[in-house]
Amino acid sequence: MTCTLGEVKQRADFIVYWGGNPAECHPRHFTKYTIMQKSKFLPRGRKDRTMVLVDIRETKSAKAADIFLQVKPGKDFELITILRALIKDQHVGDEQISQTGMTRETLDDLVQRMKSCKFGCFFFGMGLSMTRGKHMNSAALLTLAAEMNAFTKFVAMPMRGHGNVTGADVVMRWQTGYPFGITFNRGYPRYNPGEFSTVDVLVRGDCDAAFIIGADPGATMPQPAIDHLKRIPTICLDPHITHTSKLARVHITTAAQGIAAPGTAYRMDEIPLPLKPALKSPYPTDEEVVRRINEAIAQKPFWLPEGSQPQMISAQV
Amino acid sequence: MLRITGGKTYDPANGIDGQIKDLCIDDNGTFVPSVDGGRTIDASGMIVFPGGVDVHTHVAGGAINFARAMTPEDHRRTQAFIRTQSRRSGLGGMAPTTFATGYLYAGMGFTTVNEAAVPVLSARHTHEELADIPIVDKATLTLMANNEIMLDQMQAGEYERARNVVAWYIWAAKSFGVKAVNPGGVAAWKWGSDAKQLSDPIDGYHSLTPGKIVSMLATICDDLGLPHPMHLHCNNLGAPGNISTTLDTLKHLEGHRAHIAHSQYHAYGGDGWDTMCSATAQLAEYFNTHPNITTDAGAVLFGDTVTITADGPWQHLLYKLTGRKWGNLDVENETGCGIVPYTYRPSNLVNAVQWASGLELMLLIRNPWQVFLSTDHPNGGCFWRYPEIIQLLMCADFRSECIAKLPDKIKGKITLPEIDREYTLYDVATSMSAGPARALGLTQKGNLGVGCDADIVIYEEEDDVARMFSHPRYVIKAGEVVIEDGDIRETPQGREFLVKPSYAPETDEFMRPLFEDCYTMSFDNYPVEMERIENPNIQECVNSSAD
Amino acid sequence: MLSPTVMAELSNSEIRALVVYHGKRQVPLEEFFDVDGERSDELIIHGELNKVRLIGRAMSKGSITVHGTVGMHLGACMTGGSIEVHGDAGDWIGAEMKNGFIHVHGNAGGQIGAAYRGALAGMKNGMIIVDGAAGLEVGMRMRRGTIILGGAAKDFTGLQMKGGTIILRSGAEIRTGAWMNRGTIISLQPLQMMPTFAYANDFNPTFANVYAKQLKQHGIDLPFAVSQGTYQRYAGDLSVPGKGEILVWQPA
Repeated sequence: MTCTLGEVKQRADFIVYWGGNPAECHPRHFTKYTIMQKSKFLPRGRKDRTMVLVDIRETKSAKAADIFLQVKPGKDFELITILRALIKDQHVGDEQISQTGMTRETLDDLVQRMKSCKFGCFFFGMGLSMTRGKHMNSAALLTLAAEMNAFTKFVAMPMRGHGNVTGADVVMRWQTGYPFGITFNRGYPRYNPGEFSTVDVLVRGDCDAAFIIGADPGATMPQPAIDHLKRIPTICLDPHITHTSKLARVHITTAAQGIAAPGTAYRMDEIPLPLKPALKSPYPTDEEVVRRINEAIAQKPFWLPEGSQPQMISAQV
Repeated sequence: MLRITGGKTYDPANGIDGQIKDLCIDDNGTFVPSVDGGRTIDASGMIVFPGGVDVHTHVAGGAINFARAMTPEDHRRTQAFIRTQSRRSGLGGMAPTTFATGYLYAGMGFTTVNEAAVPVLSARHTHEELADIPIVDKATLTLMANNEIMLDQMQAGEYERARNVVAWYIWAAKSFGVKAVNPGGVAAWKWGSDAKQLSDPIDGYHSLTPGKIVSMLATICDDLGLPHPMHLHCNNLGAPGNISTTLDTLKHLEGHRAHIAHSQYHAYGGDGWDTMCSATAQLAEYFNTHPNITTDAGAVLFGDTVTITADGPWQHLLYKLTGRKWGNLDVENETGCGIVPYTYRPSNLVNAVQWASGLELMLLIRNPWQVFLSTDHPNGGCFWRYPEIIQLLMCADFRSECIAKLPDKIKGKITLPEIDREYTLYDVATSMSAGPARALGLTQKGNLGVGCDADIVIYEEEDDVARMFSHPRYVIKAGEVVIEDGDIRETPQGREFLVKPSYAPETDEFMRPLFEDCYTMSFDNYPVEMERIENPNIQECVNSSAD
Repeated sequence: MLSPTVMAELSNSEIRALVVYHGKRQVPLEEFFDVDGERSDELIIHGELNKVRLIGRAMSKGSITVHGTVGMHLGACMTGGSIEVHGDAGDWIGAEMKNGFIHVHGNAGGQIGAAYRGALAGMKNGMIIVDGAAGLEVGMRMRRGTIILGGAAKDFTGLQMKGGTIILRSGAEIRTGAWMNRGTIISLQPLQMMPTFAYANDFNPTFANVYAKQLKQHGIDLPFAVSQGTYQRYAGDLSVPGKGEILVWQPA
């Protein structure tokens, strides 16, 4: 259940930010896309929209919100699940509701507003998707949004972080069918997050080389993963010196995307935007480096002996 | 250079019906009267067809990519292409990955595909994906009909402006034509409602009706001289009794050229799911008396698939019916799309009616130049299952066997059992290649005449029709042998067809403020740059009368 | 590849030549294993195999006994036969299995008997016993069959369950039974309930009796008699709204 940001700008009269702090992390989000904009359908702009913030503490974004709901830490999944029950008129006990830090009155009011709005939208941030429960927390909110469509129009959208994460996701999907957590060890893509995702592979020490573009796992990943990166040959492409580039065996300095290198970036709603470089860089672009590495590899003998594999298998085992 | 000798040739564009004919191809990949030297393929005893043309499919873009993400369980069990030094890996199935799409299409002899639904806003994405589909030539259609800037002009009666807007969008998206989906309905869906009656104003507009949009847009396409006429997905898709809406829509098209997409989904009688029946006879009768209109079947095959369409309201209905996964993606000012995985079952009466309706349309519309092979991939079934449909069309006995497996209650709801027409090879060649090429306005495709693109598929004649059509002996794309004996030999990069309709130069300035008002992208970033298109090929507009 | 379905009909030299994946390279099985014994559908494996995945995948008959640890996907998609592991096992034990029996004497990872990502149904039948602890999402979307854990499970046990039974002898962490549609979770320890489960009643179901008898064969005790105590029944998950139940044992 998603839509592009322009839809939100044009139509959303009910906006919920969940586990995110847009005022500080996505400062242009309010003014450019969501609550401050006037549109054909919402001519009075901010006055025509209701904004709700759900978070574990009162951040700067709370000032901008009409309603601030302070959920107890680690209770997001429970709260969303309660909402799923309440929109279907299921009875949830007062004591159970209070476990999440809410009262029945607040939630009844919220449900009432959700059902009576014309176009609702959830934005969820790392406060939801990176806390205990992880992907299930996001799944919960997406399910709630899907179920709200029985009453009114509702969508949900993640607030993606730095870099062109969405772009990588989109390209992986069209080339391999899967967004992330992919292995090619059998010559075709296979998928299992938790088994083949980068962090798990590194923590278990399953890979014998690493090639890192435009990311800094050395700063964010758990210690066993970083230790493994130090052990194996790690190649890092980055315009800057980062934690990863310091531990890498090879660091190739590249031109900064968008500033000195052209390309396409995918916005968090999967809308592609052209990157038009403003500066020239003495360094090669990521694309050029990867292409040259590819050309060099193509000179080497192929790792599968010719004819050892069929071109296509009709069913995977 | 290449010569193909001794093959039984089926070339409907030139009226050749099974005659033995030699074909010569020069180094540019076009047919010439004769060549000296080069390879010769002896096609004696084999059947030679022009390369297949898919007039309506969804193989690239935001929606299908969303569908890929939604169906990992299907990727896990389907065909897998293993990478080699010259070929990329990929997965087939309900929503094949880009590289696999190219291999699978070429593998059954198709050399041109038309991606039938591109929202302008993600056109850049679609073109990037198309660049990763090897072998086949590609064209795209831009989604209009729910574009708010255009609708506002239509409501105001500003025909000239609306025409300029359409032309501007086609060029901005670098596409080949106009696709109209559920005119007015998607715009209304954004408020959670739908547009079902052609003469009722659309939600959010005073006087604009779907019927008005349809006839104005058809006029615009004709006036702009687009090679492919308006590609229309009618209102009220998939609902019982929607035949009246469809016929009403067709009446709004009198005097225009048009292509009706996946008409199977628009040919139902009855007034509820219980009483739903096939109304293809009425629809076919209309086509038989109106040669200005073409259609593709949008046939349904039993089995798993994922339905994806720009028709959000229908998808929500389907989600409620199945209770399975649902994805929805709304694109600002233009369109939306919904994605629901679905299994068509012969035991399900509704599905059985759908299955029969698709075949009935292909058989009841007498002129194969008017009705084309399609499953509206991936909605009715995957494109790589086309040979199964060909078998159903060519063998009445096989068809009866399949009908016998349907539930008894189907009696009286479909007319398929009474039809004994069988497609000839000539009919098949028309419906899978020459016809769609002509409808698309791609004169160099689906034609084995001198000067045309040398896209050829050669089959070993066999009794098992489905096997024969799914395993061509040779597939030749632009003079290059890409498939030989079931192996992929070469994976050339195909071309992309687009048109540049003319529009008034002041359209840019007219669009800018409207655009910046409702989009979240800067106006200058919006049009897709020419450099982004791999091997572009601009087709001429015919009788361009824009001033 | 390591499965009686593949090996039962093969000679020892054919088994040695079977191709397995080592990373992306394909190597004969004999690089890693010594093979001896008679042709049979009983397979006995010795060694620390914690990086060996897919043991007994899709097996249909016979038995595998492992003396040592095993990696992920043990017995995934199996349709019959039995597997016994004297040691620990990885994630995805018996994922999407259709039938059969798996007994792990050590600890196990997460996603036991679960559905793979995106699939609608996990294990369809059969039984999985783990004597030790288990990880996340045990029995996710399982449709039928039984999972018995001796040790504690982590979060999301019985997530989106559609049927079947999970028996937790040492309880679980949070969010047990979240979004369950049908099926039964029995816990012998107190559980932290999801807010969307409602207390229904106390009772001693007769099926506990039946289970107890069946489990006795595997040396597992399940209390059922009124004299020993009673089960508190919680119904949920209301958010679905589902007809599942969680039974928490209250000793008398």
